[in-house]
Amino acid sequence: MKPLRMRGIYRSVYILLGLVLAAQPALAQPKKPPPKEAPKGGEAEPEIEMSGDDKKDKVDPEEIDMGAEPPPADLSADLSAAEQSDQVVKAGPVARTPLSWKDILVVVRKPFLKAKRTELYPMVGTTMNDNMIRHYTLGGEISYFLTDVLAIGVEGQYYVDSFREPFDLVPRQARRLPTVNKYNWSGALNFHYVPVYGKFAILDRKLITWEVQFTAGIGAGQSEVIPRDTTFDAFTTLLIMPNIGANMRFFLAKWLTVNVGVRDYMFIDKFEPTMRVEGGMNDSADEAKSNASTSFINNVMFQIGLSFWLPTSFEYTTFR
Amino acid sequence: MIKQSITLLALGAALVGTVETASAERRTNELAKDVAVRHRRLLVKNRFEVAPLFESTINADFRHIIGGGLKLEYHLSDMLSIGAIGVGSTAIDTKLVSRIMERLPDAPDPMEPRAPSKDEYSSRLNEMPLHGAAYVSLTPWYGKLAAFSQAYVAFDFYFQAGLAFATLKSDCPTMICSDTTPGESKPGPGGETIPPDNDPNNDPPLNDGQRLGLFLGFGIHVFLNDFLALDLTIRDYAFDDNPSGADYNANLAVTDDDSRFLHHLFVGVGLSIMFPTKVKRTN
Repeated sequence: MKPLRMRGIYRSVYILLGLVLAAQPALAQPKKPPPKEAPKGGEAEPEIEMSGDDKKDKVDPEEIDMGAEPPPADLSADLSAAEQSDQVVKAGPVARTPLSWKDILVVVRKPFLKAKRTELYPMVGTTMNDNMIRHYTLGGEISYFLTDVLAIGVEGQYYVDSFREPFDLVPRQARRLPTVNKYNWSGALNFHYVPVYGKFAILDRKLITWEVQFTAGIGAGQSEVIPRDTTFDAFTTLLIMPNIGANMRFFLAKWLTVNVGVRDYMFIDKFEPTMRVEGGMNDSADEAKSNASTSFINNVMFQIGLSFWLPTSFEYTTFR
Repeated sequence: MIKQSITLLALGAALVGTVETASAERRTNELAKDVAVRHRRLLVKNRFEVAPLFESTINADFRHIIGGGLKLEYHLSDMLSIGAIGVGSTAIDTKLVSRIMERLPDAPDPMEPRAPSKDEYSSRLNEMPLHGAAYVSLTPWYGKLAAFSQAYVAFDFYFQAGLAFATLKSDCPTMICSDTTPGESKPGPGGETIPPDNDPNNDPPLNDGQRLGLFLGFGIHVFLNDFLALDLTIRDYAFDDNPSGADYNANLAVTDDDSRFLHHLFVGVGLSIMFPTKVKRTN
């Protein structure tokens, strides 16, 4: 019986040893046939491997590692990864590294989504094309983005005026008093379209996403004549003000952007008549208004402001 | 002995298993150490840029300056370049000048002694037949954009600073600008002293000649292909000037004191051609 037991032990050892040794070639074997030769006139298609490589030093650089099934979407992890990927590294020699499923983005998704979000855009502006009077504006716009590229909004602006150098020079040098109107307020219903989208690197370090938005709208405003002779009363005019414009939006955070743009407000304005006589012609504001001269005006404004987005965050509905 | 062998084998198997587990671990993402933009086209580095351009003033007070010229720039690196620009221009009266001229008398009016005639007013406005700058340019931003989801183009933003120069010209004939000693007394016949006429409308405008000043600019290249780019720029040529050529400081004479440091804002559109036309790429 004793020899029999010994044979049993030996058998067990051999089986165990066999299993261990058999496991080595099984783990070290390639999981698929060797790559096929590249078709003539073209590059070899990279292989797609559905599981990990066996040994690090045997990684095929042409392989695309599919890895394990991707975990459920984690927004914070995604954003963290996106922020890390925003760090620009100075160009230099690149070590060839194998790709993995996580590294391949068929279409890089936008880091900022606007659809079904509301933009609160407080802004300031200034006149660009009037050499007699400069207006500064304080205003804001609320826009709702129906999609990522289409929005509808309402804006309002309050105007503060200041005179430019020629307003003084013309009376002094040419002995002629300029006829100038100032603007008091304006409002508009606007439609926005975002056709241009891009990103850029600042000093090779930080990536900023931006876009260009075109705007067209219709609104109203009020102008007021500045009487050449201050003894006369001013009159105001209600203006119908269509507008067109373009602005650039730079994305700073999920809830914050910087907007810079130009808007052309177009309207037909009424100006003080040349002749106003105290106690006579055009003495009253109403009479002066009824005899006012009209002119088509392009009031081009430069506008800048911060936009705050509600909701302050968003979630992607598609894969990376 | 047998037990020892079995133990050794078991340890060996465990060791092999550990090694296998380690090698089967997921690799770290080595792209984290990689450059952000691979195979980046070096669209400007070590390239010479030649850009025929068109330029016009923005919101000029008295005369629009409109002209064409050339920009030459060498890009020392992707961020730094040096260049020069020269523009030949013509001048067009602004609407303000047109409106003032409508209201001025054709000839000096004794009833309005201080008001200039049409000729007195218009002949002292100056022009800028030639202007330009030598500058250093910094291109801190570069990127790409998609327009209408169709056109994907590269672009960069740049900022420029340097020295501006301008040639100013005004043609006031001596029959109009006849005062040879504006604001000063002059000897008269019989040893008399003739006091200043206190009429700036017959004084020479003193707003021509060469000017040196400061230059600032910023713009954008939108690359249409590897060697052609649309060049949109806002430029500010700042130097001493008195565009109206009239009395600015109200001392009833046109003197050098009426010139002041003014900003001349221009918008420019050009087509940049990059040499060599073949573009390099990073690894």
